[in-house]
Amino acid sequence: MNWRELRTFFLTVLALCLIPATRFYQLDVPLWKFFGAAHKVDPLALHLSGEFVESNLGAEQNSDGSVTVRMVAEQYLFIPHCIVVPAGVPVHLRITSADAVHSLVFSGAGYDIKALPGTISERQLHFAQPGDYKTKCNEFCGAGHYAMRSELKVVPRDQFPILRNGERGICAAQ
Amino acid sequence: MPRNSHRAPSVGKPARVITTGFALLIFPITIFALPIFAFTILGQVAVNGFLLAAGDVASARVPSLVAWTPETIATASSGDAFRGMLRARECEHCHGAEGFSPMASTPNLVGMDKLALWKQLEDFRSRKRISRVMNPVAESLSARDSADLAAYYSAMPVFSDLQDNRSFPQSVPDSKHASLASHLISFGDGDRGIPPCQACHGPVAYRPGAPSLMSQNSDYVLNQLEGFAKGSRSNDINMPMRTIAGLLSEDERQALAAFYGAGLGLQSGNSK
Repeated sequence: MNWRELRTFFLTVLALCLIPATRFYQLDVPLWKFFGAAHKVDPLALHLSGEFVESNLGAEQNSDGSVTVRMVAEQYLFIPHCIVVPAGVPVHLRITSADAVHSLVFSGAGYDIKALPGTISERQLHFAQPGDYKTKCNEFCGAGHYAMRSELKVVPRDQFPILRNGERGICAAQ
Repeated sequence: MPRNSHRAPSVGKPARVITTGFALLIFPITIFALPIFAFTILGQVAVNGFLLAAGDVASARVPSLVAWTPETIATASSGDAFRGMLRARECEHCHGAEGFSPMASTPNLVGMDKLALWKQLEDFRSRKRISRVMNPVAESLSARDSADLAAYYSAMPVFSDLQDNRSFPQSVPDSKHASLASHLISFGDGDRGIPPCQACHGPVAYRPGAPSLMSQNSDYVLNQLEGFAKGSRSNDINMPMRTIAGLLSEDERQALAAFYGAGLGLQSGNSK
């Protein structure tokens, strides 16, 4: 082993490091949560207990004025199907999947959140202006994938209802 | 250079300039980017741990006690069809000796998926699905009886001789409603976010616990769709049917029920 071979080896290793090091923003961050036990949920028993029971889905008002939105992605629906959030406040989105890998994409807002079975994907969203955002699944998930869409209604802050304990911001299905 | 005498003639200076330049280029990027990469992951993990501790639920509405774990699927599909046949004598009065019900408002059990039948019996037993008739019946069954009955009815032939007093199939809907239902079954409605029925209820694919609708009565299908839409039936895990039935119009629900009730479910892919 001479210095020239060693140098080639180190340069190769560094060059390989370059790929993840410059593209860290493209990695699916939830994948790393598989290593952290605290972020695990049982995708088969979401409806039985824990954070993603059906009475806890939707937009929840936090004490500091921000809103936490909890969603379940399943074949081939996002639950709840229509959510109301106020404009101009931070929206903490928490989403998990009940079966396959899904991806929640907001048309016109540039958000793309992976929903993976067994982990919770968390993203801070911010909608400055009121409006209706159509969301769709951006990860092929099965026979009904193309129809997997939902809606997020951003209303002015004064029109957002004051949610008491146990109430969730869900709009009526049309 | 005696060491390299056996090699090809060295390229010399230009090659060294290129490697040194390459190293100078990638060293700073790698050194600066790797900590950012590490902190991104650590930050995400820390934030999520904090939020997870905050969001816990005290009182939760549970739609069904069934969860499709491998153990549950093994229990539900390990029934004995012969024992089920003996037990099914009690079911015959309403659901028919061949699994075809004499009344259109009572479901046909013939050809139903094992998991679907087992889950409904479990939900009737735990009163997650309310029925004046079925709640007491399911309470008289054990978990093993449910699995036996599921094995028996799932093994029944769908295409049998027309001997029994049955109401299936019902009359064929008019062409406008038939094409509406056919389109919803095959393609759903993407603009409204309605997935195609056949992606979960067959024949394209089956979701665990989703019943086959190929030989189901129209009145029963309509009652269930309306029950899901109004919330009087709410035992679907993660709310798929409550959501979809709520998105469908009254006309669409009737068209779908009539289409399935006419036994056209298998032919849905042909039109359009």
